[in-house]
Amino acid sequence: MIFSYNWLQSFFNRKLPKPDKLAELLTMRSFEVEEVKKTGSDWVLNIDVLPNRAGDCFSHLGIAREAAALLNFNFAASAGKLKLIEDKNLKAKDFVSIEVKSQSCCPRYTARVIADVKAGPSPKWLKDRLEVCGLNSINNIVDAANYVMLETGQPLHAFDLEKLEDKKIIVRFAKEGEKITTLDNQVFNLDSKILVIADAKKPVAIAGIKGGKLPEIDESTKTIVLESANFDSSIIRKGSKELNLKSDASLRFEHKIDPNLAETAINKAAILISQIAGGKIVSGLIDFYPQKVYPKKIKLDLNYAESLLGVKIPVMAVKDILSRLGFKIKNLKLKIFDVEVPTFRLDVSVQEDLIEEVGRIYGYDKIPAVFPTASLIPPQRNDNIFWADIVKDIFREMGFTEAYNYSFQKELGEVEVENPQSQEYRYLRPSLIPNLLRNIEKNIGSFNQIKIFELGKVFRDKTEKTMLTGVVSGEDFYRLKGIMDLLFDKLGIAKVWYDDYQATPEDSHASLWNFKKSAEIKVGDIEVGFLGELKNDPRLTAFDLDFEKLKTLATEEKEYRPISKYPATIRDLAVLVPPLTRVEEVLNVIETAGGSLVIDVDLFDIYQGDEIADGKKNLAFHIIYQAQDRTLTSIEVYKIHQNIIKALEENPTWQVRK
Amino acid sequence: MAKTKGSLNLLKNKAKKEIDSAKDLKDLDLIYKTYLGDESELAQILRSLKDLSKKKKAKIGKEANELKNFLKIKFTEAAAALKEKAEKEKEMKEWFDITVPGKKAVSGHLHPITLVRRKTEEVFQSMGFSVIEGPEMEEEWYNFDALNIPKNHPARDLWDTFYLKNGLLLRTHTSPVQIRYMEKNQPPLRIIVPGRCFRHEATDFSHEINFYHVEGLMVGEGISVANFKAIIEEFFRKFFGKPMEIRFRPSYFPFVEPGFEIDMKWNNEWLEMMGAGMVHPNVFKNAGLPPHQINGGGWQGFAFGIGLERLAMIKYKVEDIRLFYGGDLKFLNQF
Repeated sequence: MIFSYNWLQSFFNRKLPKPDKLAELLTMRSFEVEEVKKTGSDWVLNIDVLPNRAGDCFSHLGIAREAAALLNFNFAASAGKLKLIEDKNLKAKDFVSIEVKSQSCCPRYTARVIADVKAGPSPKWLKDRLEVCGLNSINNIVDAANYVMLETGQPLHAFDLEKLEDKKIIVRFAKEGEKITTLDNQVFNLDSKILVIADAKKPVAIAGIKGGKLPEIDESTKTIVLESANFDSSIIRKGSKELNLKSDASLRFEHKIDPNLAETAINKAAILISQIAGGKIVSGLIDFYPQKVYPKKIKLDLNYAESLLGVKIPVMAVKDILSRLGFKIKNLKLKIFDVEVPTFRLDVSVQEDLIEEVGRIYGYDKIPAVFPTASLIPPQRNDNIFWADIVKDIFREMGFTEAYNYSFQKELGEVEVENPQSQEYRYLRPSLIPNLLRNIEKNIGSFNQIKIFELGKVFRDKTEKTMLTGVVSGEDFYRLKGIMDLLFDKLGIAKVWYDDYQATPEDSHASLWNFKKSAEIKVGDIEVGFLGELKNDPRLTAFDLDFEKLKTLATEEKEYRPISKYPATIRDLAVLVPPLTRVEEVLNVIETAGGSLVIDVDLFDIYQGDEIADGKKNLAFHIIYQAQDRTLTSIEVYKIHQNIIKALEENPTWQVRK
Repeated sequence: MAKTKGSLNLLKNKAKKEIDSAKDLKDLDLIYKTYLGDESELAQILRSLKDLSKKKKAKIGKEANELKNFLKIKFTEAAAALKEKAEKEKEMKEWFDITVPGKKAVSGHLHPITLVRRKTEEVFQSMGFSVIEGPEMEEEWYNFDALNIPKNHPARDLWDTFYLKNGLLLRTHTSPVQIRYMEKNQPPLRIIVPGRCFRHEATDFSHEINFYHVEGLMVGEGISVANFKAIIEEFFRKFFGKPMEIRFRPSYFPFVEPGFEIDMKWNNEWLEMMGAGMVHPNVFKNAGLPPHQINGGGWQGFAFGIGLERLAMIKYKVEDIRLFYGGDLKFLNQF
């Protein structure tokens, strides 16, 4: 919000620090000053008033109060002391009647009547002040109302009394079908959620947001009704959102304003108008204020303040800071103050709020850095993060690049976003694969081979779980299967096996896989994920693992297997099998027949060609024999090898090549 | 005699020619044997001297010995030259260019946010903070109400929120985990909560619709702003590897009081690094813990929130936040 430096200066006799110095002080103690700019003979300060302080600091008076506390300045005696002279012969009640239909939406409504005004251009000083603050000059009456708003933070509005039907002001909700044309000639259709100011027949202003064209002040205006009201912040906020209409007034009302401010502001405005537009202030303030707001009282425990801030602030400094901000203190001699909070400080309701006031004005820079004296409790290990880090390191070692993708996708998912940022991001991802595929697409032109993975949440209904997913280009199924084996080995997960892919109806991403070249990965009888070729692009293979299951299966335990001191013997063996025989079947026979002295069986070739009849395939194995306690004799090895051959040949369709 | 003399001359010229054309020491050795060996012509001449007349003996003997000496010198010179040549050749053969580029080793890459998150966790764990996580789909109560951000309050505008059709919302910060953790654990507490958060806003170089936040919470007896200052200075010192200048500015977050913004000096400019403050008594109440009581007792503590992208952008000099989520391997493979 824009503030005038000269205006702030006008509250004080003493000279304020130079604009950039004042800006720095405000930034460190009150609100960030985003910009200081010279305009004519004045400077503009763009101050980012914190939202909880809008109530008192969307005003020059509020910022001046901050400055007074920061600089230890007194307000000039002249500031704000104006004398209200009313015309005792005229009574406001005879001019206009006010009716508030809903007290909760309008806790206070004050009005004053000024008769025999002469609307016209504003004096230069007034035009200048408004202009510096970014407001256009309209005429002396409207300008005076705006000026008082910028000074005090209370929005005001002036109606031409003659233009109000039956000279009535009614605060009520709009009726369905009612319309209003605002001062800037926009037409709005109103409904029963919009609070309006109406005359006997129709809305003449959108309450707290914008005035209507009808009772506009112009050169013919003779008598005006000045409104200074307090509206419920959430009603104004909702109305402003619904109509998509914001104004200086709505901005202030939706942040809440002190209802006691309405009276001060209307008197200031009435005096200013009578000074610059002539006219007589009709006697009597019309004031609908059924529930007066009184100052709150809060206890401030100085020991607690010291304990919370971590610095001892002298009692007199605490007192000074609070009084300059408008707080009243009792029990000065005790360690617990009774503090009376001025009603304009809507943000202060607990003693921590007071401690903040003291701390920031005193200066956070004066608080020392002190390590806490906490007990030596070592941090707990987070298993989820522990295993996530291990898994990520494994994939990095295997040459994978880690990707972070959006949690959103355009493809259908179970969880839909109510207010998506765009149609591209309408659903929460039920799988990490679609976004990883986009990564592949983006990079495939620049890289021969891509290996990417992501560890992230997927969403279904009201649940979320972490998946470990990767997509690889330029590697076949078996390479990826080898990568899976290595992953499980490093995680200490044994009993991993690969089952045929069985698409189930509830498997929402079944469509992603080429199920003929895909497998389900199981540990014992637990399904942990999938592995296979992707349907839309045979160059791509992928894996999709349930990380929540992985981390519970993973173990850090590892047992050393003694290395035999005795040499190993390798014998090769080739078997011809029918085309649909699985390698695993053959391996099982070899391992069972071989017994414990066969320590490894390594498939080194699969061959299928025209010269082999019936489309049979030739499987070639290295069989490694070794004992822990002796060197195996060639006779021992020969016997076992013959057992294996015999066992294989029990299957009439298998033929060991000799 | 003339014959002998002529043949000695012939021998000299022939030998000279062969010595000069020797390719290597082995070659030279053979030539040596031919001309100076036991079976050489010269050796035979010298051996036959005893059968000659005294006069002839003296004359031919002298000439033959002169030739012998001449050849010996010649061989020594040639051997030295050949040795030098061989050494040079050997040196050439062994010459090695260390400036040839190394052969590419293959390794994968972790995402920069993972790296920064690990570092952050490491520093806080060293100060006794446990790392805790929470759900990304959150209830309105935990994300807002419990954190002292009531419905229809303008403060909610500070967080542009994605609402879901299943009745939940996407958390706008990891602060809800404060409440979830305090509900189940008794102080003293020291936790950080890293995790993915979401904001409904237009993306640009400094804004993303999802991003990572680390929330911190320390609750205990007499925990103060001064304590927070020490902890956060230590964090920056360890994270950036040197002491960093920081400053506190007043700020407003409904779940803390007092609240502040922490700036860090970087390249002579103040950068906004995080929001922080002392846990608001209403937050303690909402989590079922007693806040400070006027007659003593009750808990106090600090909370803060820092963006991991911000840390990564400073640490790695990345100027556009969107690179983190773009999946461009030319970017990701740099880490």
